[in-house]
Amino acid sequence: MSTRDLVLAALFAAIIVALGLVPPIMLGFIPVPITAQSLGVMLAGVILGAKRGGLAVLLVLVLVAIGLPVLSGGRGGLATFFLPTAGYLVGWFFAAVVTGYCSEHFVDRSQNGIVQIAGFFLAALLGGVVVDHLMGIAYLAFGTGTGLATAFLGDLAFVPGDVLKAMIAALAGRAVMVGYPLLPQRA
Amino acid sequence: MKSLHVEGDTFLHRLPAGLKLAGLAAVSLLLFLLHSPLLLAVAAVAGIGLYAMLGLGWRNSWQRLRVILLTIVVVSAFTLVINSPVDAAAVFFRLIALFLFAATITATTSTGDFIAVVTTAAKPLEKTGLITASDIGLAIGLVIRFLPEVLGRYQAIRDAHHARGLKPKPLTLAVPLIILTLRNADEIAAAIDARGIRSQK
Amino acid sequence: MFMLSSTLPFLHLMSIEPANEGPGLDIRFEQAEARFEGRTVLHPLTLSLTERRIGVIGLNGSGKTTFARMINGLVLPAAGRVSVDGFDTSKDGDQVRALAGFIFQNPQNQIVLPILKEDIALGLSTRKLSKTEKEAAVSGILARFGIQHLADRRVHELSGGELQLAALASVLVTKPEILIMDEPTNQLDLRNRGLVEKTIYGLEENILVITHDLDLIDGFDRVLCFHEGRLAADGLPGDVIARYRKIAA
Repeated sequence: MSTRDLVLAALFAAIIVALGLVPPIMLGFIPVPITAQSLGVMLAGVILGAKRGGLAVLLVLVLVAIGLPVLSGGRGGLATFFLPTAGYLVGWFFAAVVTGYCSEHFVDRSQNGIVQIAGFFLAALLGGVVVDHLMGIAYLAFGTGTGLATAFLGDLAFVPGDVLKAMIAALAGRAVMVGYPLLPQRA
Repeated sequence: MKSLHVEGDTFLHRLPAGLKLAGLAAVSLLLFLLHSPLLLAVAAVAGIGLYAMLGLGWRNSWQRLRVILLTIVVVSAFTLVINSPVDAAAVFFRLIALFLFAATITATTSTGDFIAVVTTAAKPLEKTGLITASDIGLAIGLVIRFLPEVLGRYQAIRDAHHARGLKPKPLTLAVPLIILTLRNADEIAAAIDARGIRSQK
Repeated sequence: MFMLSSTLPFLHLMSIEPANEGPGLDIRFEQAEARFEGRTVLHPLTLSLTERRIGVIGLNGSGKTTFARMINGLVLPAAGRVSVDGFDTSKDGDQVRALAGFIFQNPQNQIVLPILKEDIALGLSTRKLSKTEKEAAVSGILARFGIQHLADRRVHELSGGELQLAALASVLVTKPEILIMDEPTNQLDLRNRGLVEKTIYGLEENILVITHDLDLIDGFDRVLCFHEGRLAADGLPGDVIARYRKIAA
């Protein structure tokens, strides 16, 4: 891995931690508060691609594991990996990799803005919503013994917020691609 | 950034980090295989006992643990509604036990020791050719090093929003934060390479 | 074009040997050319650098930064060859970078670990030294720049000037033969600028400094002026600076 890639991943990990400080917002039609940190995970994939985005999230997870309170709300430590929501946390890594991989293959600097945004949105949905929620549900259901049905129902409340985040990530992805393109072109 | 490490000299503080983590993994596996609320309650009490050894006191401990305890209560309540009281009790005690064991290990292991364990554990990864073990230590150091600057930049962007009468929104906060932060990557990488830090001698 | 400083004739003899001792280093550009995205940034250049204090000036985009970065191999020649003491920058990058230290413009971007003394020690991580030897080297270099009291500090609390001194310490702890500095005082306020400039003048090592501050290089042994990717003037500070002023006008 080039030094530049390593540095980009480390700087983005710091960005994901910083986004944990953005206070959660309540949107009327969504029953749960929206935090910005999982937006950071989607952004990592969309802006840096699979390898560097995945490393950025991995670094955040390592920081959590070694006891730094980097998750939103000042949470951290090994204990967070045993919480019922741990599946979503570990799922962040796979979400970033999938979002990154899809972004690299769907989006291209030569496309027009709308197409790029659509591509990023799809990538963020596949990674940040589908993959992350599946892993979250899996651990919730089997790890805590609540069963699939309950876990699935419980998860539904978080989907609208994350779809909104995927849209934000797509818009941000396009904006950064115009201002400071970093995504490896593989399409 | 202050870590969750708690200063002290208990026997847990003195145990090697790798041993503690392996122990945690083994205990977690065991707890997931148990289903009896009684046995799990015993484990939970053991967890409380271990955490108490840290000497933090009721108030301090409550501060640190309350958010997570709330989550555990909510999940257990869900299980109570959907499944049976026995299942809910098992879930409750299991999570309490796991959570307290993990929190105790976090509190009795220094950041430096953790990084050393992570670096050793990462050695097998070197075979994939993607990254070396010392790269992990460098990467972790980089994040901790630049975190205050990124946080400062975030505050400055938020202040700029307020100054212009704009409400800070995720999109308008994230994009400048990302571009301004990542722009430094080239020079930081050049400085690292110029010092020959990553060369294998 | 002058190749030797007229006041130090013995440098010419020393530059023939590939040895590392003595105040003169042997840096050679042999028809070295640099390109970026298809454009020629530095036209084929041939010269030899052996002086102790060399200044490099030129307008932004003149190729001076590319020139400096070719010396330590951060930029590789698209054609031709660059060598430091016989080591080719394209083939022996590690040896070249051990000989040539580099200081960048932005003080924040050069210290990469959160606690200062850990970052200084990082430069020694690839050397086979005992823990006590490393600690001694770190304390020594910090003391040399008067910043030993900052050893345990968190780096983000340091001022720009302190950070630039820390960067000097981090690079010089491995004892390179020459120190290349790319506009080291550009991002500093007036007080910090004075502090760093004073330190630069006190350095015993060979130095090559890119700067917009013409007063800084006034006492140097040789100054190179770049313009539009070519060497426009090369010689004593007085003459070259005068030529630069004409170009910049």
